[in-house]
Amino acid sequence: MLRNLIHQELSGHLMSARFLAAVVITLLLVVANAVVLLEDYEQRLGRYNHQENVHRQKIQEAKTYSRLNLFIERPPNPLSIFSSGLDKRLGSTFEIYHGSVPMISSGSARGLENPFLNLFSKIDLVLIFQVVLSLMALLFAYDAIAGERENGTLRLVISNPVRRGSILFAKYIGAMLCLLIPVLMSLMLVLILLSLNSAIHLGREDFLRIGGIVLTTSIYLSVFYLIGLLVSTLTRRTATSLMICMFLWVVLALVYPNWSRFAINPVGDTRAIESSTSEQIEQIWEEVDREERQFLANTPLEGKPPRFNISMSSSMTSDRRRKQINAYKVNEASEPLVPHVQKYHETMGNLYIRLAEETALIQKQSLDNTTLRRARWDERLMKLSPVGLYRFATTAWAGTNLDGISDFVQAAQGYRRTVIDYFQDKEAFGSRQWFASDRGTVDRWDLPQFRFERTDAWENATRALPELLLLLFINLVVFTVIFTVFIKIEV
Amino acid sequence: MIWHIVKRELFDHINSLRFVLTVLIFSALMVTNAVVHLRPHPERVRDYSEDVTNASNALKSRTQLYALAEKGPGKLYKRPSSLSFIADGGDAYLPKRTYNEGSWSKNSIGGNVKSNWWLGYGTVNPDAKDLRPQGTKIDWGFIITYLLSFIPLIFTFDALSGERQQGTLRLCLANSISRPVLLIGKFLGTLITLLIPFVFAVLLNLIVISVDSWTQLSGADWGRLGLILLIAASYAGIFVGLGLMISAGTREPRVSLVILLLIWVAAVVFMPSTLGILSTKWMPPVQTSDQLYTTRAATLDQINTDYDERMMTIKENKYPGLLSISDIQKLSKTSPEAAMAALKKLQEASETEGDEELALKAEFVNRDVEIRERFNREHLDSQIAQVQRARRVTRFSPAAIVQYALEAMAGTGFNRHLQYLEHVHRYTRQFREFIVETDRADTQSLHFIGIAEGMSEKPIASESIPKFEDKITFIDTFNTATLDLLLLVLLLGVFLSGAFLVFLRAEV
Repeated sequence: MLRNLIHQELSGHLMSARFLAAVVITLLLVVANAVVLLEDYEQRLGRYNHQENVHRQKIQEAKTYSRLNLFIERPPNPLSIFSSGLDKRLGSTFEIYHGSVPMISSGSARGLENPFLNLFSKIDLVLIFQVVLSLMALLFAYDAIAGERENGTLRLVISNPVRRGSILFAKYIGAMLCLLIPVLMSLMLVLILLSLNSAIHLGREDFLRIGGIVLTTSIYLSVFYLIGLLVSTLTRRTATSLMICMFLWVVLALVYPNWSRFAINPVGDTRAIESSTSEQIEQIWEEVDREERQFLANTPLEGKPPRFNISMSSSMTSDRRRKQINAYKVNEASEPLVPHVQKYHETMGNLYIRLAEETALIQKQSLDNTTLRRARWDERLMKLSPVGLYRFATTAWAGTNLDGISDFVQAAQGYRRTVIDYFQDKEAFGSRQWFASDRGTVDRWDLPQFRFERTDAWENATRALPELLLLLFINLVVFTVIFTVFIKIEV
Repeated sequence: MIWHIVKRELFDHINSLRFVLTVLIFSALMVTNAVVHLRPHPERVRDYSEDVTNASNALKSRTQLYALAEKGPGKLYKRPSSLSFIADGGDAYLPKRTYNEGSWSKNSIGGNVKSNWWLGYGTVNPDAKDLRPQGTKIDWGFIITYLLSFIPLIFTFDALSGERQQGTLRLCLANSISRPVLLIGKFLGTLITLLIPFVFAVLLNLIVISVDSWTQLSGADWGRLGLILLIAASYAGIFVGLGLMISAGTREPRVSLVILLLIWVAAVVFMPSTLGILSTKWMPPVQTSDQLYTTRAATLDQINTDYDERMMTIKENKYPGLLSISDIQKLSKTSPEAAMAALKKLQEASETEGDEELALKAEFVNRDVEIRERFNREHLDSQIAQVQRARRVTRFSPAAIVQYALEAMAGTGFNRHLQYLEHVHRYTRQFREFIVETDRADTQSLHFIGIAEGMSEKPIASESIPKFEDKITFIDTFNTATLDLLLLVLLLGVFLSGAFLVFLRAEV
């Protein structure tokens, strides 16, 4: 009997004009946007490769350790096609330097070649599902009960030996299957487009993540279907049910996500915090001057660091946080001073490492109080609506959310430590090669390489779990309410 | 008769649930818009006036004519619009001022040469520190483009198909009412019902905004607000027409609703951005900034060597047998003494300075400025052309048309930025003319603009230096909006006549 009911629901939906229209429009939008998104991804990948080459070149050119400027590049995430999140917005080039710890805000972004194009907002595939399919779910649901009640067919069905629960269940299953068809079809299309594109390689883990996104999509659509069903059971007329559904949809899917971000900002002005942070950091780095004076008092070195009064053919840069010279040759007359300079760089190197870590602590606190706090508040407010839950769950799956980017930053911080350990093992800070290249240059062959692997799909799943559970919980609550109402309802 | 129908429609709608919901949603959004606007706006106005005062003080402190040529007029700020609550226009992505791209100095045989000021435009990329989820601002633009198109469809999807289903349409037409009259009646009735909550919400918004003393609306602003209401009305009219058209063509209200909503989602939600981005893919890519720098550096190198050669010839004419640095280096390997003598001679030559040298220097400096500005301008122009083409393509969607018209009215967005750039260019010309004129008035000056020694050394009165003022005039905004206004009226005509045609041929 249940199968009969499902079958009937399914064929009813599949034959309807609304189903056809939904499929056509979803596919059109998916294809048009997927083409754009794929090309965009390809461009970013190209730039990533280019930048990597540039960085490698820089390492090859360095003759002294102090000139060994290490840069790492955040690779674009192929799943940003589905849910772009923060992937495109945040900086992608991070410098690895013992005098500063990479933070989430310290990456430099290259941006678009034509920055005016930022005026056109980006659309990812999840947004299409979020807007179009939630509308479809409501359109499938608004007359499910109210319509049959109006026609009198509901009475007819109930007069058969069918439990009311199974009627509801059949309706739910039938509609959900219909809603999944456009999702799966667009997924297939995207996968075909992806496989035609040679630049993109998706691994097994990526397919698991995409599976996760599809799962989240179906749970999200089920929320909207159930909301529609609830409205439909509570109202007597389809016209009323439809109006309530449509306004609910506009508010939930379009207005609220923008409204919450726009209207509520409990963090307020953070300029005071930011300026006090930069003052604190300034104070920390004043120690460099003190330390330097103290050190120089006991040495025959004169003149200004980092070059002092030793004469050599060189170029140099000098600001408080970075003092480096690229000497090619120390002149013979200055040779006796070299050990002192070596000692200076050793002391300073260790001091920089310590100060950088202290600075990082302050920066982290300031970030937590300003940028991150604001982002978390927005997240919390947006999660009051199923649309927000859906968006955050999908970015978690795709790895384009804050956690995903933080993974990279953590890897970068780890790499900085490795490089420092490597330098300390080699005693690079106190070595002659730190600033001069006349007696042996930098060994590059055993320089640690940076590697970054995205977390495995399981980790993505655990990150998406809270939102998924919340969505499921909403499903459950709404379904129970519908059930209790429908059991008691007069037909 | 027609007013009878309009009245009936009005009463029908006003008593309905959808009307109540419409009033609620419009008022809530408009009040939010006003309240949120009041928070950052005073700060923005204060920042702007502070910036402008600082810039003009810095300009006043330059009393020497050469200082003006070397340092330029300082930063030129864009005036924030007092109507930014109407359309934000993506102002976060548009530069708010001009940028100084730096300076150079060159020491060679001709002595020291310093760069003159050139105009840099600067770019704004999304704030990398912003970790908030992205979203659109709830401005009037959002409320009008999204809701004033969605709600008309909700009001009209069953206007004809519903009546046909119930049989009331046949009843109506059995009376002596012609079909056009019925259609016009329904159109006007629905449009008026929609405008009542909208205007009510707009008034609420304006009351909240005008409580605050920072936003003072002038007479021209009220004129703009009137035009905005007109734009909103014709936009809503387009969708009422569309709704009636589809409703007349379908048998069941359910079907017409689905068709309408899908058209709406595609045209209003997705087309403005998707088409914009998609169209840029078919265009030739703009020059990347790396390419810009390399081509510009090549051209600059050329004038640099050209300058060196010509300077050398001048010096050689004055001091026969002068050797260049590279020749001296070669010579020093064979006979160091001769090299020392040649070097001394070279130094002596570079210290003396006649009119010829000054003229060459001035030419060099001015060509440098010209080349840099030309490259910057070309780069900017190609970027602008790309955006403008994209905007032209997005005008397929009425939502984009309205968005652009509203931006023009509010004095924000891309067109406003172009106006600002035009003001900047006009001012730059004026500023340079001022330098030339002032210099010409001084008889003691050598009239070599761009070189310290060649320019008037009389102190200049700070009041006489032209000041940059970025004004938003009503005529400017109106001119940029005319195309969009025309398109809107045209679309309104198309959809209304479409509804007529479909309804005239429809069976009841």
